[in-house]
Amino acid sequence: MNEILAYPANYWQTMYEIWLLVSVVIYLVVFIPGAYFLIKYRYKKGVNEKAQHVHESKALEILWTIIPTIVVIYLATQSFAFYKVQRNAPEKSMEIKVTAFMWGWEFEYPNGKKVYSFFNSVVNPENNAYLKPEQVNDMFKAYLPAETPIKVLLTSRDVIHAFYVHPAKAMEDAVPGRITHMWFQINKPGEYWVFCREYCGTQHSKMAAVLKVVPKEEFEKWLNQGTQTSQESNKENL
Amino acid sequence: MAAVGYKPYFSAGLKEWIFTTDHKKIGIMYGITSLIFFLIAGLSALAIRLELFQPGLQYMSEDTYNQALTIHGVLMQFWWAVAIWGSFGNYLLPLMIGARDVAFPRLNALSYWLFFAASVLALITLLPGNHIRMMWTGYPPFSLNENAGPVAFYALIIHLLGASSLASAINLVVTNLTMRAPGITLKKMNLFLHAFLAMNVIQILGVPALAGAVTMLLMDKYFHTAFFDPTRGGDPLLYQNLFWFYSHPVVYVMILPAFGLISEMVATFSRREIFGRTSMIIAIWGIAILGFMVWIHHMFTSGVPDWIRIIFSYTTVLIGVPTGIKIFNWIFTLYKGSIRLTAPMLYTLSAIFMFLIGGLTGIPLGLPAFDVAVHDSHFVVAHFHYVLGMALTLAVFGGFHYWYPKITGRMYSELWAKIGLVIIMIGSNMFYFLQFIVGLEGMPRRYADYPPIDSWIKLHELQTIGAMILGFGVFVALLNLILSTKLGKKAEDNPWQSPSLEWLIPSPPPPHNFDKIPHMPEDWDPYNYEWLDKHHKK
Repeated sequence: MNEILAYPANYWQTMYEIWLLVSVVIYLVVFIPGAYFLIKYRYKKGVNEKAQHVHESKALEILWTIIPTIVVIYLATQSFAFYKVQRNAPEKSMEIKVTAFMWGWEFEYPNGKKVYSFFNSVVNPENNAYLKPEQVNDMFKAYLPAETPIKVLLTSRDVIHAFYVHPAKAMEDAVPGRITHMWFQINKPGEYWVFCREYCGTQHSKMAAVLKVVPKEEFEKWLNQGTQTSQESNKENL
Repeated sequence: MAAVGYKPYFSAGLKEWIFTTDHKKIGIMYGITSLIFFLIAGLSALAIRLELFQPGLQYMSEDTYNQALTIHGVLMQFWWAVAIWGSFGNYLLPLMIGARDVAFPRLNALSYWLFFAASVLALITLLPGNHIRMMWTGYPPFSLNENAGPVAFYALIIHLLGASSLASAINLVVTNLTMRAPGITLKKMNLFLHAFLAMNVIQILGVPALAGAVTMLLMDKYFHTAFFDPTRGGDPLLYQNLFWFYSHPVVYVMILPAFGLISEMVATFSRREIFGRTSMIIAIWGIAILGFMVWIHHMFTSGVPDWIRIIFSYTTVLIGVPTGIKIFNWIFTLYKGSIRLTAPMLYTLSAIFMFLIGGLTGIPLGLPAFDVAVHDSHFVVAHFHYVLGMALTLAVFGGFHYWYPKITGRMYSELWAKIGLVIIMIGSNMFYFLQFIVGLEGMPRRYADYPPIDSWIKLHELQTIGAMILGFGVFVALLNLILSTKLGKKAEDNPWQSPSLEWLIPSPPPPHNFDKIPHMPEDWDPYNYEWLDKHHKK
């Protein structure tokens, strides 16, 4: 089993850790002298009544122009390197088509099988409250094979939505009239959320779907159940 | 320069207020309108937080929630973060340059009344049947959908606001460039004035793009054009490009004047000139120019080509450099100063340290490798609330206290101002810091409801409590300011002992500000505190 829950979340995680370290250091570099000056140079009667003359320090100013420039250019370049992997699906990805609509998702598999998930399929019909992913009816779940890269071709039927795969930490907008793309891979079988992350009206906050990630063999079995291809092959067998 | 026998500018009759062309009265009217809408937007924020306290919908429907969020966004940005500068700019700019009014006083009154008309339209959208539910961004094709509500209101509000701020921007730029009293050179003038100059130039360059975008939206919706409708050959991303071409720079319209205020207060209360004053001015213009070259970072996941995402990630993070320069300069202004920790200074210092968090969390949003996981999540919301909700608002409140004696002629209660600040800082950090965490965990923004993930529920509960504390702190601080207009002690003309020109005239300023246009001597400088000690001994 792969140790990492999902790709490309691991790249995001590294980028996050680099940024966090840099930010904490910068915060302290500013905060510590700031706090020190505030204590040391407080106005005291008879002791520190007047500010002292300080000439500008060209050296300091050049220092805090050049170092931050290097830091941010490094960060952008690091992000560039990661983003190339985060954006471009590996070659042997399984391709699925996802079409967003107000308010739900259509998943289309390579063999033409389709799954629909609607805003009211992720809630309890009695009180309209969100279900846990396991409680959602299996017929609304998009099955996916574990440990397989999935390339998603995205579009929308009406307004702009966004396809955000929660465990993979990746998203892309679904834009009407355009086909956009993203990829991810989930290694651990289980049930995971997909959320719409572009505001799209009344049921925006219920425009979720559940990805059911299962071992590859189980996925193949599910994929060929109840589809036209499976019926045709049944016919041939007769 | 003291004049005798005049009534203070604010003891005028209603008719005089309505027909006034006095920059001080117009400034006050901007301020009061702005504050009223700040309170409406704040209350809608508390309603939003209450709804998010628990998963499920307890207090309002999705549509009401979406409307509340739209109101909160539009009002906080246009009526608070932008319009409040109409107040500071109008009131203080002529005083700081030694002018009796702005260059075009009647145009100035028109600016305010256009803004007032937009305010009335905004209030009309609160009535049943006129609810707008498309967020402040109003992205098509959604905004062309019935679900979004009457888009015409939105477009007309933006047009009125746009006309108002264009007129005001041109007015203040001309005033600043042509009406400075002898002796106040561009190099010598207050950093406040530099910040407002840059801010108004951004307005002049940017507003037409937004006005164009909403005009096209209006045409699409009501006159069957197809700029943004993909089913008839339009492109919805065109709107986003036009919208963000203005709406990214507008965040510098909001924050540059805040920087100006911070510079004034840090200098006055450290009693020395701002460290690296020239680099401060360069940084202001650096931010203003770079600000026009970064808008694609709002569209990193919108389907624009990958190469343009990379280019804009570099330009975006580079904005961190001039911004960093400003922060370092403020910190080093404290060095060897004689620091007075008055209420406005504490508000300002809080603004700096909160801005630092807001800035550092803005950097990763410019990195596509990071942004891809948090775009349109609560992380983004927390980031711009650290910048606008905290840094900007704290700077504005600092400014309220700092110029309070000048504007009202009375002093506020120092104790209650500080108590208010402590409550605000506790509440807002509890609120917005946890918002970062829930955002990192993936919580999408603009969600009326959310799935019952344990950590999300806990984080939302604490955020709501933080928001209530923040609301209470704002209430305390504002109540102090309101009550002090009656109960406050009489203020001196120059309680902070600043040589900046607005402090060298009586408090409150006489109706025509200066009996004689001042001639500022060679050794005068708005930050030369020794000059003041020499020439204006009490």
